[in-house]
Amino acid sequence: RHKRASARSASGNFTRHSGSGRVQEDDDDSLFTQPTTSQVQRGLEKLTPAQVERKVTAEVVQFILVKDQKKFPIRRADLIRVVLKEYKNIYPEVMKRAARTFEQVFGLRLMEIDPKNHLYILQNNLEPVGAASPVISKTGLLWVILSVIFMKGGVVRESVIWNILKKLRVQPGEKHSEFGEVKKVVTEEFVRQRYLEYVRVPHTEPLEHDFCWGQRAVAEVSKAKILEFMAELHQQDPKSWSQQYREAQASSPRAGTSSQR
Amino acid sequence: HHAWVLIMRRSHADGDEGSSRQNGSDGPKGAEQQQSEAEVGAFSFHPTDSQNSENDPRQRRELRSRYRELISTVQQNREDILSPSNNKLTEVLEEANRLFKDVRQVREAALDARFLVVATDLGKEKATQMCAGNGFDPSIFTENLLSFMGLNRLEGGEDEQPEGQQVDGYLPEDAWHRLARRAESCFRTAPSFHYMNGAFHVEPPPPKPRIERQRREPTKEAKRIMPTELKKLDGFHQEATEREVERILGYLRSYYRDDPTCPISYYEFVIDPNSFSRTIENIFHTSFLIRDGLARMYLDDSKLPCIAPIEEAAVGNGDSSSRKQCIISLSPKLWKRHTLLFSLPPIFLSPV
Repeated sequence: RHKRASARSASGNFTRHSGSGRVQEDDDDSLFTQPTTSQVQRGLEKLTPAQVERKVTAEVVQFILVKDQKKFPIRRADLIRVVLKEYKNIYPEVMKRAARTFEQVFGLRLMEIDPKNHLYILQNNLEPVGAASPVISKTGLLWVILSVIFMKGGVVRESVIWNILKKLRVQPGEKHSEFGEVKKVVTEEFVRQRYLEYVRVPHTEPLEHDFCWGQRAVAEVSKAKILEFMAELHQQDPKSWSQQYREAQASSPRAGTSSQR
Repeated sequence: HHAWVLIMRRSHADGDEGSSRQNGSDGPKGAEQQQSEAEVGAFSFHPTDSQNSENDPRQRRELRSRYRELISTVQQNREDILSPSNNKLTEVLEEANRLFKDVRQVREAALDARFLVVATDLGKEKATQMCAGNGFDPSIFTENLLSFMGLNRLEGGEDEQPEGQQVDGYLPEDAWHRLARRAESCFRTAPSFHYMNGAFHVEPPPPKPRIERQRREPTKEAKRIMPTELKKLDGFHQEATEREVERILGYLRSYYRDDPTCPISYYEFVIDPNSFSRTIENIFHTSFLIRDGLARMYLDDSKLPCIAPIEEAAVGNGDSSSRKQCIISLSPKLWKRHTLLFSLPPIFLSPV
């Protein structure tokens, strides 16, 4: 009998939430309330281990792998809406197992980079081997932007970035042979991928923007390695940039990043 | 010093945006002076000023144009002014102070305020640079980076920096590639996962995930598109195989014709020393020749497999009793060994 009671209380939750007017983007996510441990437990009891396993490996893992192709973060809301559906009550357990599969089978780490909007990314858990995967030349472009932001203390005006890129023969207004529409790549693609944040500067006329590191960059990019490359380029000791050096030391690759489990 | 001044000025700008109280005076002593001047200016014009000079439209126009000029030079030389090695920011502030002496009316004062916003912003950025340890100079950075990317400095003067196109030629084509290869080590990007045959079309619907479509009942559109695509793919493969088989037969016959007495070593024939996968394809295609009775295989005196075409006349006489099957296995390791063993530069079956 108490099973039925809990089902009713859960559906009560949903009606209450759907009543609140929210932004479209978050709407379906707001319908979802994190199930409690006992709810998960009850949910698991109703399913066979094979059913759970199929959901986890065949569907969730595959879904995340395919979604990750474009390097846009994966939204929890999409995962629930598209894959989990009626299994959503065991969401935490499914994610735990998916993370385990990624770690043990693929050498990847499933990370929540934005705990507020529940965005996930995959991160390489293995030491980079080099030359194993095809090089994506956009990485070079991204590196220039991220490292300039880092070297200049975390925030850089858009015009500064474009000036530097112009010197590197990349014109924002033109189609580049390697990158296509550079302006779009930088201000849209990199931003959606959460490598960059593109923030409007108040009181500017015409409108101006600042760039800073996005959540994916924080999780995925090593400041120490940037500084190392920078030092190599300038033939200079990395310690000579004392501020940056200290920052790089403080944010060693994976310290303090939140992980899904 | 001027960073501090700017903060003072900024607080004015924030306090009463757009009003005539903003003004361009600078320096600690100016702060008090400006206060009294501004107060007066806000309510009535200075009594001792001659009415003429206040209202002379020509003078006012000139003042405004000088302000605009100042603002635009500041905006255009932003990078220069920001460079830690000079005092240009102070200079333009002083220039603005000189201009402000003649400001009596709101329109001019508004321009002064606009200049103030621009200058404040520059001051803030310059201050940020100081925090960042000052050691990073974007122009040195780009120079070093260009060298790293393989910029050819011999052609054309590097000192002149013409806008745009002309300089493009000096950067080699793989410049960004080179940079990306080195920069990769800074990223812990997960390698992206792709189906070998691209099971789902990645491009068109951006937010809609592909898996969703697979799981749903196939919509009408999917029904319509899927079979045609598959047929096309199938036909293409069929054709490609036939063409390849045809091509290989041509090679075999021409080698045989060159010297019918000399046996053609099977491995020499199929192995592509540069590509394992090519080799496998060759074996695959050659097997069709055997199956169709267009070629035969035999072992020579040293028990090595040889291949020879069957003469046109004899084709079709293929005795069913002589039919045999054999399996050829080849691993990359074996393939490597074979390429050495058969000391193979002669590429019999060069790729198309």
